[in-house]
Amino acid sequence: MLYKILGKNEYEDFLSDLISKNEVIGPKKKDGAYSDFVAIKDPKEIDTDYQKTTLSPAKKILFPSTEDLVAFKISDTIEAEGIVEYEQKVLLGINAWDINGMNFLDRFFTTDFIDENYLAKRKALTVIGTDSVPTENNFAHHMNSEYAIEGFDLYFSDLGDRFFVRAATEKGNRLIEDFPRFLDTSEDDFKEFNRYMEDYRAKFKLNINMKNFIDNFESIYDKEQLWQKLAEKCYSCGSCNLTCPTCFCFNVKDDINLDLKTGQKLREWDSCMIPEYGLVAGDHNFRPDKENRLKQRYKCKLITFKQKYGKNSCVGCGRCIEACLAKINIAEDINTIMKEVSI
Amino acid sequence: MVLEAEKKGKKKTIYTPDMATITEISDLTPTEKQFTIQIDDQETREAFRFQPGQFVELTVFGLGEAPFSIPSSPNNRESFELCVRDIGNVSNALHKMAPGSKVGIRGPYGNGYFPHEKMKGNNVVIIAGGIGMAPVRSLLKYILEDRQSYKDFSLIYGCVDPANILYKDEMQQLKQRDDIEIKMTVDNPDADWKEAVGVCTNLIGDLKYSPEDTFIVVCGPPIMYKFVILELDDRSYKPENIFLSLERRMECGVGKCNHCHIGNKLVCVDGPVFSLWEIRNLKEAI
Ligand SMILES: Cc1cc2nc3c(=O)[nH]c(=O)nc-3n(C[C@H](O)[C@H](O)[C@H](O)COP(=O)(O)OP(=O)(O)OC[C@H]3O[C@@H](n4cnc5c(N)ncnc54)[C@H](O)[C@@H]3O)c2cc1C
Ligand code: SF4
Ligand code: SF4
Repeated sequence: MLYKILGKNEYEDFLSDLISKNEVIGPKKKDGAYSDFVAIKDPKEIDTDYQKTTLSPAKKILFPSTEDLVAFKISDTIEAEGIVEYEQKVLLGINAWDINGMNFLDRFFTTDFIDENYLAKRKALTVIGTDSVPTENNFAHHMNSEYAIEGFDLYFSDLGDRFFVRAATEKGNRLIEDFPRFLDTSEDDFKEFNRYMEDYRAKFKLNINMKNFIDNFESIYDKEQLWQKLAEKCYSCGSCNLTCPTCFCFNVKDDINLDLKTGQKLREWDSCMIPEYGLVAGDHNFRPDKENRLKQRYKCKLITFKQKYGKNSCVGCGRCIEACLAKINIAEDINTIMKEVSI
Repeated sequence: MVLEAEKKGKKKTIYTPDMATITEISDLTPTEKQFTIQIDDQETREAFRFQPGQFVELTVFGLGEAPFSIPSSPNNRESFELCVRDIGNVSNALHKMAPGSKVGIRGPYGNGYFPHEKMKGNNVVIIAGGIGMAPVRSLLKYILEDRQSYKDFSLIYGCVDPANILYKDEMQQLKQRDDIEIKMTVDNPDADWKEAVGVCTNLIGDLKYSPEDTFIVVCGPPIMYKFVILELDDRSYKPENIFLSLERRMECGVGKCNHCHIGNKLVCVDGPVFSLWEIRNLKEAI
């Protein structure tokens, strides 16, 4: 890691410079409490204290809700060619838990088989992170995700009169070299950074207990009544999946164009909470009940990838809690599960 | 940035099928047809090697893609066969195709296949129900082509009606051989039926092999697994020597779409064949 300082008075110039040379995607005020990550043309458009976004900006760029995968041409014979689309972009202002969510997707899409549709976009993305204020439903600190140690090129922490800047990659280093007004850090800057991090971490108020969660989850796995109670109000709408920064399930389908000669294979986000998810030909459904679907979503978020990668796929952003009309709350449910087995 | 796929001069991603031709089609039953498929590009065809129990993703362009097990012998390198039941979008379209038609093929997929190397020097029992014959037929052929490497060999095959029996002529021919024991059973016998009646679990009791040197392979509808396993347990067959092929919804076949996950396993990349020992430790597997 390379550490630098950038004065507040230099920051706007840095952004102007960045915007003049790159396509920059950053947070812009939308309606109410929400901001949206869009193309930024002027540093003044940037909503520096954004708190909520419906989607993770990283997922929006790297894993769009629909994406063409293969183009085919039908004539006397058929030709098929893979489609890999990407553009060089700078993602500015993504917070720590969304970077960690992206890190999960990075790992997922390059495990077993390499998904070049994702990887090409990821390689073309420059990531500049900065902290944002957690909502009352955020529990990123319990998911080891309130702080990012990788996945970004530069990360800005706001120490008041100056930024404490971490550069994690060569790309980040180049950005610093291209704007020669970054300063070296002093011992005091590190002390100030530590003080800053303490204040930052104190903003995460939600308290959950996840001690031995994997084992406890196993032990209540077959308690049908508990799961029926937890899932009772679920509408099976899938909003929790759609807003999650780490949900990656998709369907693949073929589409044929009006000329009847060309078409494409494409993917679309799917959602494990809707009944069709487990449906196969012959009308057999591997997961027909909503309580089983909720149980499997929690398992996927809190168990599966802890076992596979050593880290949960849930980053604790709280989006699924805010999106759920039935008020189903993963943080409360973790506590409920823990209470079932408490000594 | 240069991507791997572009370096090779053609854009081929994990989702891009290779073009292939259906060279032969034959009726197996009123609902299942056999398709012989040859990959068009010679280099790709030569590189296409599979293990018994693996599957391919087949595209009918414009309609979609579905996974199918490969029932033919891995030793046949020029082409492979698929056995397809007429049941949904892709399979209906396939049934309407004629020889010479083009389809897309990706694969072979599945890191979990029938461990034929480990089976060598042991007795092998295959228990198949209905269309579960498709994935195990590859193993059946493979073993018969190298018969002396294995001890005793049995096939138990159950179907609802005699009309549903797949590879009927082949079964009759195999019955003439004395190095494989074949037992068939149906739920609804017709007047000509001379073999067992009832579910295939009934025939497990006749197996005389000791658990010490016996491998068992099971493939059929989900309901069959529960009963077969109870029977095998009663006879103390070892869970680590029993192999089952699982079916789930699959959209990609390469571990990305997640539809086939069972806990922390994916049927497409970790299976589709799992040992009973693995399945026991996976909730909701059967
Ligand atoms: C590992 C594996 C091996 C298989 N081997 C065979 C075989 O040898 N012969 C055979 O006839 N069938 C086999 N199937 C089932 C087959 O893949 C199709 O599901 C079935 O043919 C129906 O597909 P469809 O597109 O015609 O139907 P539709 O219902 O129209 O299917 C729509 C979509 O749903 C998915 N889907 C629907 N049903 C299933 C299912 N049961 N399993 C997985 N995905 C499903 C398909 O991916 C497809 O894209 C296998 C499935 C798996 C997972
Ligand atoms: S938990 Fe809430 S958001 Fe998710 S499917 Fe159920 S009702 Fe919809
Ligand atoms: S499961 Fe909910 S809290 Fe966890 S990462 Fe997904 S949306 Fe955020």
